[in-house]
Amino acid sequence: MIVVENLSKRIGRVQALDGLNFSAEDGAITGLLGPNGAGKTTCLRTLFNLLAPDQGRALVDDIVVAEQPLAAKGHLGLFPDPFGLYERLTPREYIHYMAELNGVNEAIDKAVQETLALLNMEDIADRPCKGFSQGQRMKTALAQAIVHRPKNIVLDEPTRGLDVMSTRKLRSLLLELKAQGHCILFSSHVMQEVSALCDRVVVMAKGKAVAQGSPGQLCEQTGQSSLEEAFIQLIGSDEGIAA
Amino acid sequence: MNRKVWIIYQKEMLDAIRDRRSVIAALSYAIGTPLLMCLVFVVLIEKFASPDALYINISNAELAPGLIRQLASQDIHPAGAEHKAKAISLIIDTDYPKQMHSGRLALVQLQGDFSNTQLASDIRRVERAVESYAREVAVMRMIARGVAPQVLKVLDVQVQDQAKPEAKGGFFVGIAIFTMIYAVFISGMNLAIDTSAGERERNSLALMLSLPIRVRDLLLGKLLAVTSFAFLGLFMIVIISKIAYGFVPWQELGFNVNIDGRFIAYILAFSLPVALMAALMQLFVSFMAKTFKEAQSYLTLVLIVPMALAMITGYDLGPELLSWLPISGQQKALMEVVKGNDLPLEPLLIATAITLSLCALLFWALARSLKSEKTIFSL
Repeated sequence: MIVVENLSKRIGRVQALDGLNFSAEDGAITGLLGPNGAGKTTCLRTLFNLLAPDQGRALVDDIVVAEQPLAAKGHLGLFPDPFGLYERLTPREYIHYMAELNGVNEAIDKAVQETLALLNMEDIADRPCKGFSQGQRMKTALAQAIVHRPKNIVLDEPTRGLDVMSTRKLRSLLLELKAQGHCILFSSHVMQEVSALCDRVVVMAKGKAVAQGSPGQLCEQTGQSSLEEAFIQLIGSDEGIAA
Repeated sequence: MNRKVWIIYQKEMLDAIRDRRSVIAALSYAIGTPLLMCLVFVVLIEKFASPDALYINISNAELAPGLIRQLASQDIHPAGAEHKAKAISLIIDTDYPKQMHSGRLALVQLQGDFSNTQLASDIRRVERAVESYAREVAVMRMIARGVAPQVLKVLDVQVQDQAKPEAKGGFFVGIAIFTMIYAVFISGMNLAIDTSAGERERNSLALMLSLPIRVRDLLLGKLLAVTSFAFLGLFMIVIISKIAYGFVPWQELGFNVNIDGRFIAYILAFSLPVALMAALMQLFVSFMAKTFKEAQSYLTLVLIVPMALAMITGYDLGPELLSWLPISGQQKALMEVVKGNDLPLEPLLIATAITLSLCALLFWALARSLKSEKTIFSL
């Protein structure tokens, strides 16, 4: 479970986060939806202690990130944007490396093999990542995020640049992970993705959560028939949002 | 060693060995430099050992046949159509035969640009040849007058060069050791850039820092990998130098550059802290850069410092202080070893302590900077 309490962060002259509050439950997919520049990535970076908040705190499974960063990070898996793969390693080597660094000590090979099988990656497992398609890169990045079976999985703009088949595959995987009881938090500015996947949506604008609830609740709250209309009403503009 | 440091080290080494650019960078210097230096040494030694014939302008040569014969015996000749003269002129005065005949001072002018370092040794060579002729004539005149030439000799100065044969090659030894120590800066450089600025460029730095690992473990793993590469480069250049320098005809100059087991053990041991410092310095600079190319241009500038230190020491130009400093300190100690002298233990220990202190400082600063959001995201 991830909880963000009154998080504020100023970067240069920009107030990137301004008293942000939300929580992401276990066994649910929570989407951070907001236009570009709303503070989504800043919020995720704070969760990983890459940025120190000016105010407020973030908790991962009740561990305060700023106080015990290593322990908190041990409960997280990150699917980053961009992926940042090591081109000269094969997915098997890369996933093995990330599993070890994430603290998997026993039966690493088995964990890696299971993850490769889960993502149907056996055919590319022993080829260097160099020259991979975007879909293959996505799978490798996702595999490293889940190989250590973290309770909480954080995805930063996961479908950016993916084709339809890869996006469908990613969605089905996220639903599977949710069914296994994982807490899934992802940031997106793609409306369709959020409405198709999320149990709970946190609408962000200018570093604040302007509304949160299930897609149905948000529509109800705003009196709109679609999430898109509800969203536009909530943030007051459709700038920076993809349908 | 901490398990995570070991995991990171293994991955960095695997990644580096597969990076053709890193491997070629490490190997090309280590293999190419001794071979190139070998060639340079052979040419230089040939020049030192048997100087070429020297052609100069001689005015009124016909007036002084004895002098010209003496010069010719030293391989100094008047320039002709076939041989171009160097910018040195020997002018024999028109009164020369008359003055010589009457046993008076005969005028001979030696002209040239004395500030031109390329001509300096040639000018001295002509001067020596002319003086030696003058001495010969003087001796003959004294004998002709019935005076023993020994009266001219007041002191019996006996010069004994006590330098060991190995020590005579100081200049060559300095350069050879410089090329070896410099290998620790060249061999690991590409890996240092790839693992820091390259990591940032391919967007994996933030991901690495999001993992449950300590920044210092991450750094230590990378540092050890870069140091290993630097050290491997040093090891290779030492071995290849040992083989290659065996083919240089040192004996023609009356000395020997001996890369024996003792020297190899010493250079590997003394250079280890230098390799560590080189790796840290390169990582420190590269982590400040956003891209591989940016890091490369910064490092090219930064590398001038160790090069200057090593060169000054190699030519033995610097002050005593250099024996206490990193790089130059180790280099000076190694030069003494090759010359067959005692190891200057105290300066070496101080130089090593300063090197290791610098390492600690750089490591601390680097770990600190990687905890700063400004460095991570180049804010």
